[in-house]
Amino acid sequence: MAESNITSDFHLEVGDHGHDDHHHHEQGFLQKYIFSQDHKIIAKQFLITGIISAIVGITFSALFRLQLAYPDTAFPFLESLLGKWAPGGIIKPEFYLAMVTMHGTIMVFFVLTAGLSGTFSNFLIPLQIGARDMASGFINMLSYWAFFISAVIMFLSIFIETGPASGGWTIYPPLSALPQAIPGSGLGMTLWLTSMVFFIASGMLGAINYITTILNLRTGGMTMDRMPLTMWAFLLTAILVVLSFPVLLSAALLLFMDRLLGTSFYLSDIFIGGEVLHHAGGSPVLFQHLFWFLGHPEVYIVLLPALGISSEVISVNSRKPIFGYKAMIGSMIGIAVLSFIVWAHHMFVTGMNPFLGTVFMLFTLIIAVPSAIKAFNYITTLWKGNIRFTPAMMFAVGLVSFFITGGITGIFLGNAALDIPLHDTYFVVAHFHLVMGSASAFGLFAGVYHWFPKMFGRMMNPRLGYIHFWFTFVGLYLVFFPQHFQGMGGVSRHYYAFTEFSFMAEFLDLSKFITYAAWFTFVGQFFFLFNFIYSIFRGKVAPANPWKSNTLEWTTPIKPQHGNWPGEIPSVYRWPYDYSKPGLKDDFCPQHIPDEELDYEDGFEPPKPVKPKEPAQTEGSKE
Amino acid sequence: MDAQSLLSLTKWLLVFIFFLVIYSMALVLRLKKIDPFKEWNPTKINGGLMMLFFIVGTIAAVWSSAYWFPKFALVLDPASEHGVSLDRMFWRTMIVSIAVVVVTHTILFYFLWRYQDRPGQKALYYPHNNKLEVIWTVVPAIVMTILIADGVRNWHDIMDPDEATKEASIDVELTGRQFQWDIRYPGVDKELGQAHVKYISGANTLGLNFDDVKTHDDILATELHLPVGVPVHVHIRSMDVLHSPTLMQFRVKMDAVPGMPTNFYFTPSVTTKEMREIKGDPEFEYEMSCQQICGGAHYNMRRVVVVETMEEYQKWLSEQKAFYTTFKEMNPGMDEGKTADAGDIKEIGTLTSTN
Repeated sequence: MAESNITSDFHLEVGDHGHDDHHHHEQGFLQKYIFSQDHKIIAKQFLITGIISAIVGITFSALFRLQLAYPDTAFPFLESLLGKWAPGGIIKPEFYLAMVTMHGTIMVFFVLTAGLSGTFSNFLIPLQIGARDMASGFINMLSYWAFFISAVIMFLSIFIETGPASGGWTIYPPLSALPQAIPGSGLGMTLWLTSMVFFIASGMLGAINYITTILNLRTGGMTMDRMPLTMWAFLLTAILVVLSFPVLLSAALLLFMDRLLGTSFYLSDIFIGGEVLHHAGGSPVLFQHLFWFLGHPEVYIVLLPALGISSEVISVNSRKPIFGYKAMIGSMIGIAVLSFIVWAHHMFVTGMNPFLGTVFMLFTLIIAVPSAIKAFNYITTLWKGNIRFTPAMMFAVGLVSFFITGGITGIFLGNAALDIPLHDTYFVVAHFHLVMGSASAFGLFAGVYHWFPKMFGRMMNPRLGYIHFWFTFVGLYLVFFPQHFQGMGGVSRHYYAFTEFSFMAEFLDLSKFITYAAWFTFVGQFFFLFNFIYSIFRGKVAPANPWKSNTLEWTTPIKPQHGNWPGEIPSVYRWPYDYSKPGLKDDFCPQHIPDEELDYEDGFEPPKPVKPKEPAQTEGSKE
Repeated sequence: MDAQSLLSLTKWLLVFIFFLVIYSMALVLRLKKIDPFKEWNPTKINGGLMMLFFIVGTIAAVWSSAYWFPKFALVLDPASEHGVSLDRMFWRTMIVSIAVVVVTHTILFYFLWRYQDRPGQKALYYPHNNKLEVIWTVVPAIVMTILIADGVRNWHDIMDPDEATKEASIDVELTGRQFQWDIRYPGVDKELGQAHVKYISGANTLGLNFDDVKTHDDILATELHLPVGVPVHVHIRSMDVLHSPTLMQFRVKMDAVPGMPTNFYFTPSVTTKEMREIKGDPEFEYEMSCQQICGGAHYNMRRVVVVETMEEYQKWLSEQKAFYTTFKEMNPGMDEGKTADAGDIKEIGTLTSTN
């Protein structure tokens, strides 16, 4: 069995030493917490780096919201904070764009990709499938450190003379290729691309590990159709990463060459800074194709883990099986496959052949079908449940709400004809901030509140969690719902000020309102930050299974050591969603307890014992 | 220290003291092991708050939508022929969307409120129902099919108009550069002459090739004038980075791509004067903006668009001077077909500068 190989890898003795194996773990601080190969430590490293990135990312948004609300007002504190980028307390247009770009890049890649998928894939995969660790602890460590280097480079780029990349997070050339066009396209852009190369490496190393681990290291009885939906979500996410990130790498390398070696992949017929450039024959549209071939799957790389987490959290806390388990898997597979053939819906009005627009509109709107299935299944899971409002549960149902409200505007934007007026307006900003930003952030929060006891052995304070939830849920709706109005009024995104056009100036009041709401939400995050840090050290000590959950991670010791289970890895006898099963005394029945050992109600005849299925090593290959 | 800063310092001090008081109260309660909220049932409170959020949120959404509705200029009062059908499609989709959001949220928040955890209550074991799954696969699929059919038809009508429209259309060229729009009309020969960045020199900032005689009557303008009811063929170029000329009220948008000319056909259907009456705003102007991030002054690439009757348009056009004529006057020594040196003709660069 694979299990025993893994065990020997980690020099972990099982069985008789189980209760007293501390002397096997005498590792130095550096080995234990910094260059750790333990998936749980790596997950925490991803989480903490993600939280730090999130602080930077949302601080940027809080600052540039000030500019949008008060375009002509000086804020002296901005000058002390940003120096030459805000002379006299008014942000410069170039730096406004830099802040928007960094906000987008950091939130999409560093927080919602690495911080979400990196954290929970690492933390949950071995624990929920019943493995000692990832298939390769070393590659896993490399994955984190590549991410760390990437983050360091990106944050360094904020402090350089010419400022960070400023061409939007989509870095369309020629703007991103020509330092003459905007100062951020100088060294800042080079650092952006370098950072992304490390980030892509990190994503690939992680994803290969996740896929291998899920397919090969499942414990006895854990067939593919008995995996929690989190595992399916992480598996599909990892597959998306492996297939799409290399394309971003190629796009970035070609852009590197255009910038540094004078090639013309994306550039042609350009007159800038008083001279005609030598570039000829390149196409900026090529870059957009390559970028969005990653960029659209990326949306689902961000969203699928959040959907997986919310499936698990909603099922546990409504004390009901997730409704339509197989339909949920099917719709996730459908979304994952479709996500590769819809990328050009970001490009309807970029001058590409209109015929392509038709094809991509067709596939794009089809995505609404699996998405609708998921939304309805979540809601049906709540029906006749016994809903416990833990903070995790509240964030999970908040996700469902955002997923619907934000997703529905996708049928406007995915429609090529309607995209002509709506493209690059605040309607788009509202759409993706709700469905990708807010929904995924809520997945992240739900995951942290739910698995915090397993991560740190202590509980987070639920009351602070509730306060945090209401601040964030109300705040995000107040921020992004009115942005639809701005979009329908024609207000354009990436605008430094709405003062120059009369139809946009009508929305200045609304802009102020949105800024207040943004600051309200921003302030609410400190409840989380305080709760998180405080509970790591001073929270209530967690019980073994605080949420009365079925999945395997709650069968480990409260603070699992290296290798997760001190003794043998438990086998699995059923799917993970048997909550409130008729005939049972408890309203849950953990996966690892065989039918004959369950506590039945009086007069209920237990089913005949069934042998656990063999580990599903061959099953994996058919995926 | 003046009174003003003393006042603001006092304010911060008060806030600080306020937090200290709260913090010490929390410490006292903890030391004495008193929990003032012990009686509160978080499930009940949060379930109730969910319902409250739904009710207040719905009222707020309805009220704010009604309040802002008259300002939705991107989806109301279209000023072009295809805009009418686009807006119709937008509002159809909007009705579907509102229905979906309202129905799902009503059910979602009702369930959250109704099925709160109660002692002794057991949830219903209800893992799947294929009939339900089929219903919510098929219904969205049908709705999407209708929307797709509608979308495809409109998209093709806009992107590929019929030959008659193409024949009848007048040409106009929009060129984007950091940070302004250049507007060029073909002049009496009704054909735009050749232009390329390699011909840029001095005041010839658009790069017209004067060897091509078709350029000789081309007109450069600072406002985009269009006759009402006549199809317009917009030729779109960029000189440096991506831009996106957007005529919001006409539902027109197409990226300007360096090295790849793009185009857009549309027919203005409402004159500026008529729109001023519709809007009840005598100051109203159609505006052209840029909607593809292009650098620092991206937010300020404005041109006024004037839609007028054919007579007014003809009159305005006849008052414009061909660029080549102006250019020759500024360069008396230049030979036919040769472009001039930069230095001596800078003044007429003002012709194309922003207003």
